[in-house]
Amino acid sequence: MTDPLALDPVLPERERSKLPFNQDRPHDERYQAFEAHVLAGGKIEAGDWMPDEYRTSVLRFVEMHANSELMGVLPERDWIMRAPTLRRKLALTAKIQDEVGHAQLLYRVAEDLGKPREAMLDDLLAGRTKFHNVFHYPTRTWADIGVIAWLVDAAAIVAQQALRDSSYAPYARTMKKICWEESVHIMHGRDVVVTLAGGTASQRAMVQEALDRWWPPLMQMHGPRSDRATDRDLHWRIKAKTSEELRQEFLGIYVPRVRELGLSLPDPELRLDPETREWRYSEPDWAELRSVVTGHGPASEARIGFRIAQREETRWVRETVLGPAVAA
Amino acid sequence: MTTRASRAGGTGAGLPPGLEPATAELLLALADDDFVLGFADSEWTGIAPHLEEDVAMSSLAQDELGHASAYYALLASLTDGDPDRIAYDRPAEAFRHARLVDHGRGDWARTMTRRWLYDTANAVRLEALAGSTWRPLGELVVKVRREEAYHLLHGAAWLERLARIEGEPRRRVIEALELVGPDAPSVLAPLPIEALLLDTGIQPVPGAELLERWAARITPVLEGLDLALPEPHPAALDPARARSGHGPAFSALWTEFESVRGLDREATW
Repeated sequence: MTDPLALDPVLPERERSKLPFNQDRPHDERYQAFEAHVLAGGKIEAGDWMPDEYRTSVLRFVEMHANSELMGVLPERDWIMRAPTLRRKLALTAKIQDEVGHAQLLYRVAEDLGKPREAMLDDLLAGRTKFHNVFHYPTRTWADIGVIAWLVDAAAIVAQQALRDSSYAPYARTMKKICWEESVHIMHGRDVVVTLAGGTASQRAMVQEALDRWWPPLMQMHGPRSDRATDRDLHWRIKAKTSEELRQEFLGIYVPRVRELGLSLPDPELRLDPETREWRYSEPDWAELRSVVTGHGPASEARIGFRIAQREETRWVRETVLGPAVAA
Repeated sequence: MTTRASRAGGTGAGLPPGLEPATAELLLALADDDFVLGFADSEWTGIAPHLEEDVAMSSLAQDELGHASAYYALLASLTDGDPDRIAYDRPAEAFRHARLVDHGRGDWARTMTRRWLYDTANAVRLEALAGSTWRPLGELVVKVRREEAYHLLHGAAWLERLARIEGEPRRRVIEALELVGPDAPSVLAPLPIEALLLDTGIQPVPGAELLERWAARITPVLEGLDLALPEPHPAALDPARARSGHGPAFSALWTEFESVRGLDREATW
């Protein structure tokens, strides 16, 4: 359900029209005023004038995020039917429901930037737009559900918390709601992992195996180091932190928590440098990341294929009942 | 953790002597209906016709599972059992859900038609059980009914929408009615131990009367849509068969939901 607060504009309409970039002036003047506003920490609303570069960048960023929420549903969805207790089954269904809800909120933010939802789904299913690397991998055991909900969501939330202050206000507001829900998912995931880690020998082996398998994609998830000076998303304050800053934050919080459970991480180089206070690690396989996010991951084809098949199967409902507006 | 002592002084109390097995049968029927339907409906999570409906359908599935959990917990209080053990650690033949719930989810029309048939029958059943002489059951049913009111609205809206659009939507509703409709009365068919439950007022209204009430309620709606419920399957009205002899769709579901827990039933999951 949409939180009504998340839709409240920061400034009323009449106040926004007074902003210099919203007034009828030459393009360059508007551009400069817009840039100055954003660099000073000002927020942008959907109805504001904005340079094409800004609109395109925000759209690309939010669309990939929405795609990731939508595709992220699939690996976990397979386990709704197999959840081993009533409580786990309810928690998992609720978590996946949240993610579908996030996809819906984010696609709405993206739609307001000018791209219809069906066009975004078309692009996603045709492989023209991307989604997060971690959702291109198969799930093999129940422990995967714990590791995904705990660590994949944790890695995501580190990035998402930094987006609550995005210059694009509708996205920032949506992220506040999403972060709150994600923090509940992390508790559910940690509880699954803790239960398995404290369980029988084979449960413990199951969770260690899952962790070993998910660690390399987790280390790749935030992307290769980028140069703060040339990163346009940082310039426009669409996001606030570099890939490496996010990865360091993730490692700082979660490596100790994983080890606390007596579980190990499959990287002999992984350690905190006492002098720099930075985490050292083996270089992630960036070639794998590039290959995976361009649709060549171990489960990419199956996931996209499944989405295409499901979309076809329910097309009649959208076309005949819901009308062409939602017939995506 | 609830102890045996606290349970004995709690919900199990107040039942007339010797009535536990019959009451357990009733609770198992209520619980298994919602459990199996909740499982089938949760298959739509992530793949419903559009995102808004996806979120709604997940809520319905969670409600059903929540209700099932509450019934299993009440049942566990009678038998000194554990709700998860009751829900999961039974062979497929021991499940007591109605034949209507036994069908796979099928397409969107079948899911919605089945939901509407189930929700209307369940509403009639719960209205009666709210007056149960066994207070723990009556009190639980009052809570469950609050959520079920929304399910009724959702299912009715979809049935009407689909049935009123000529062509594919209406054709699919008719197909769904033909397939699942004959099994719909199984939700209200008398339980084999009904006489005992009626004598003590644990179940205040006999199944035969519930079936009449239900027919009186749904017939005008179906007629308004120029639809009719097919003749009941003989097994759907037979106390000995309405809730047993489950088919292949349920076997597949059972195999799936047992697959993790079945790795080690003594472990904590």
